[in-house]
Amino acid sequence: MGAPVVELRGVQKRFGGRTVLENLSFAIAPGEAVGYLGPNGAGKSTTLRLLSGLLAPDRGEVRLGGFDPIADRTRALAGVGALVETPALPPYLTPRDLLGHVARLRGFSGPSAAAAAARAGARLGIAPSLDRPYGTLSTGLQRRALLAAAAVGEPPLLLLDEPTLGLDPAARGDLRRLLRAVADSGTTLFLSTHLLEDVEAVCDRVLFLKEGRLVGDEAVGSRRDPVGRRRRVDLTFAEELPDPALALLAAPDADCRRLSPRSVRVEFDGGSAAQAALVARAVRAGLPLESIGPAEGDLARRYLERVGREEAT
Amino acid sequence: MTSAARAFVEGVRWELLRLRRSRRLALFLIPPVAGPIGTALAWRLLAVPNPGTAEVLGLFVTAGLAALVALDLGALAAGEDLAVHADRLEFALPQSPRAATAGRLLPPIGGAVAADLAGAAAIVAAAPRLVPTGGAGTPVLLDPTHLLWGLVGFLLLLGGVAAAAATTTRSPAQGLVAGVLAGVVAAGISAEFLVQGTLSAATPIAMALGGLVAIALAVGGSGARGH
Repeated sequence: MGAPVVELRGVQKRFGGRTVLENLSFAIAPGEAVGYLGPNGAGKSTTLRLLSGLLAPDRGEVRLGGFDPIADRTRALAGVGALVETPALPPYLTPRDLLGHVARLRGFSGPSAAAAAARAGARLGIAPSLDRPYGTLSTGLQRRALLAAAAVGEPPLLLLDEPTLGLDPAARGDLRRLLRAVADSGTTLFLSTHLLEDVEAVCDRVLFLKEGRLVGDEAVGSRRDPVGRRRRVDLTFAEELPDPALALLAAPDADCRRLSPRSVRVEFDGGSAAQAALVARAVRAGLPLESIGPAEGDLARRYLERVGREEAT
Repeated sequence: MTSAARAFVEGVRWELLRLRRSRRLALFLIPPVAGPIGTALAWRLLAVPNPGTAEVLGLFVTAGLAALVALDLGALAAGEDLAVHADRLEFALPQSPRAATAGRLLPPIGGAVAADLAGAAAIVAAAPRLVPTGGAGTPVLLDPTHLLWGLVGFLLLLGGVAAAAATTTRSPAQGLVAGVLAGVVAAGISAEFLVQGTLSAATPIAMALGGLVAIALAVGGSGARGH
């Protein structure tokens, strides 16, 4: 594990007489996809603002790649794409205007800036809307434009605050798959959200925040964790799966358990390659695989344990 | 190019793009076009007695129009993005917020001053040609050259106060109101000095310095770190 790309040590932040973050410490290693879960008002967005240099802590240290995002902003934020809370653009500007501006600030110039902007727009699926005024875009397209701004130049660290906010269910699913692909390509992700599904679909590790304090730091059960915990996924089939078919999915390092006539939970060692091998076994065996996703229920239970039922969203 | 210089240049570029997209860029044409034309009509209607008085009238008219531009665009450059929280995008980028804000204030305030000077140049050139010199004995209220540079100080004050207030309140409307109030106070004080016969170069210099301080406050307050 390399030196942490994100590090907070003993951070405290107060607004007026109210303590928003209290003695907050955690570190994120390169390549990790970390979810940051907590109810509204827990301090998630304040953490993001501290990390992106928009706020200074009252006490403690914040480091990005070893640099202070306030004192050494240019170096600290050079490899960071951030989407903090819900910013907007003046209605007359276009996504292409914003992406080009971001590209130039990330060191691109001339045609390469235009190309980087177009690439980010295409990646987030807003290529046809790049030249439309921001005020005429739907909420979902506006959110994608802002996400595209964070992704310009493919920075190695993405800090995202409620990235699926305002997206319809299909777009939400697309974005989760995209973020997972980004994480699999080696980009470090820090995803602040109050949606458990975002974390289950994208993250390897989850931090639970309650009233400004870290109350949990653990692996997302459905994904390989950094210290080798087993990954759990649910497979759903188009038709009822006979018992002998379960054996076709099993492997020396993979255990299968039936959840319903059409769904199976598989627990296995390894990462994406092992999951791909599982899918390949299902396809080779001619099983009518319909979908594969993180094991459900596990994270919700842990969230309620850490944060409390009355806080659950 | 240093990172601060790059942020400044990109700030200028970003603001010019915003002015173009919002079609506000055309406002810079008003002082150098409408100022001299309106002034020429006023010369005729008011039968001003000599070219010096005509220049003073024209400089006031043109600077009044330029003041509206400096107020409006200064407040918007500083406050429009803050009002929609676009600063959370802008200032989370690898750039100095102060350099970026300084770059963004240059086109509206510098442009308003430049537009005023362009209009003033047209007026100074036209006055001796369009106004008869028959009333040369009538005293001129102010030295036109002094007034020309004094009004530049006035424009800096208005643009700077509007930008600083818009930054503090995160609202271009509030910035505009503060700039108008500053203009009324500055004009009132200047008029009082004029009546008392104590108006000197110190007044516009103080206004210009006040404007620069206000601009520095707007720049220093950008990317505020405790809110």
